[in-house]
Amino acid sequence: MIKLHNVSKSFSTFQAIKSVSLTIDKGEIHGIIGASGAGKSTLLRLMNLLEMPDDGEVEVNGQRLTNLSSKELRQARKKIGMIFQHFNLVANKTVYENVAVSLELANIPKKEQKSRVLECLQFVGLENLIEQYPAQLSGGQKQRVAIARALANNPQVLLCDEPTSSLDPNTTAEILSVLENISKSLGVTIVIVSHEMEVIKSICNRVTVMAAGEIYNTVLIEPKRIQNINNSPSYFVEQLIKDGGKVNA
Amino acid sequence: MPDILVQYEAEIWVSIGETFVMVGVSILAAILVGLPVGTLLFLCKKGQVLENRFIFSTLNLLVNITRSFPFLLLVVFLIPFTRLIIGTAIGTTAATVPLSIIAIAHYSRLVEQSLLDVPRGVMEAAISMGASVKEVVFKFLYVEARSGLVLGLTTSIISFISYSTIMGVVGGGGIGDFAIRYGYQQFKTELMIYMIIIMVILVQLIQFIGTTVSRVIDKR
Repeated sequence: MIKLHNVSKSFSTFQAIKSVSLTIDKGEIHGIIGASGAGKSTLLRLMNLLEMPDDGEVEVNGQRLTNLSSKELRQARKKIGMIFQHFNLVANKTVYENVAVSLELANIPKKEQKSRVLECLQFVGLENLIEQYPAQLSGGQKQRVAIARALANNPQVLLCDEPTSSLDPNTTAEILSVLENISKSLGVTIVIVSHEMEVIKSICNRVTVMAAGEIYNTVLIEPKRIQNINNSPSYFVEQLIKDGGKVNA
Repeated sequence: MPDILVQYEAEIWVSIGETFVMVGVSILAAILVGLPVGTLLFLCKKGQVLENRFIFSTLNLLVNITRSFPFLLLVVFLIPFTRLIIGTAIGTTAATVPLSIIAIAHYSRLVEQSLLDVPRGVMEAAISMGASVKEVVFKFLYVEARSGLVLGLTTSIISFISYSTIMGVVGGGGIGDFAIRYGYQQFKTELMIYMIIIMVILVQLIQFIGTTVSRVIDKR
């Protein structure tokens, strides 16, 4: 589904990606993990040419993006959804409008937009917040709006750039189960960049470990499912005294 | 109403009308030309979607030069140009030419600044969704920057009123000119004070409207 062939990318003198090749199969949930500065985000951003590679080829869904005209590239991007660490919603648009804008860009007639927007918001469980503005939502809700926006045009691929890194553990689990559901019920190929091992372990089938702009290794794993997070005060206390903490201090 | 206002009522209304024409044309120029120029300044900056050093530097220089002129000198300097496009350099219509030029330079700078406040991530999201430059501008940038654009325009309009007061030098008229000719030069201090009060009310009103509108449309 996604093929990177000897791609390189430099930012002035810093070489962020050094001739990387990677193939991601259809339907896979592919993780990319590494330390900060390892090049994992850049690698992801190369997959929809948000960063233009200095060298090499990028192929998504049988289309060689690096050969497309800018108009064709814009067309291709409508079939590649993307979500971000900081959600990147338009703060002056309602939840509904934020999702609808991606349909507008694809020239879907206004009449058909409505049912599609509602369908996508239903999928992420936000159908009753359509008139709210992003500022009125929690982080997890904002990310779900972003997911609905990314799904609106039925993409074959969903690129996730640190999708849970600014969320608390509960919300992280919530977002991960939405992503898992997208993979299962819609068959969308998902690529997740994260520095959190737990996130990667819980839903990925295959993981690329990046170091210093290169692929260190690629590992096939069995996703260990999303752990339910215990948020009760007794659990917190239990955890704290496990290593010799003292209660009622 | 004070006697002196009754006495000059007709002239005052004419002056107010002239001020409205001069400021109105300036506002139109600011929106129709200043907004696109400011947007282009922003888009052509380093790292932005239309990055273009030549266009950026040229526009930047033009805006800076226009704004460095003491306004009175700009008016005089532009006389030949005004005569070329209006046919005369004297009168209210002619006065709108230098006013429009300073209006474009003034507002385009404020537009550029407002657009810089739009989070980079929002532009990236737009591009990742396959938006063209035009769509990025109209469906994302202007939507996200709208309250700043309104506040900037409010600031600009108040400056235009101030600029319009000196258009008396080319026979442009207006409240400022009236205050100087009748109030100052004919020693009718009372009349001058009334004119100042009218200007204060006008500015307060514009600022109030601008602030309110920008607050109502700001959902961030």
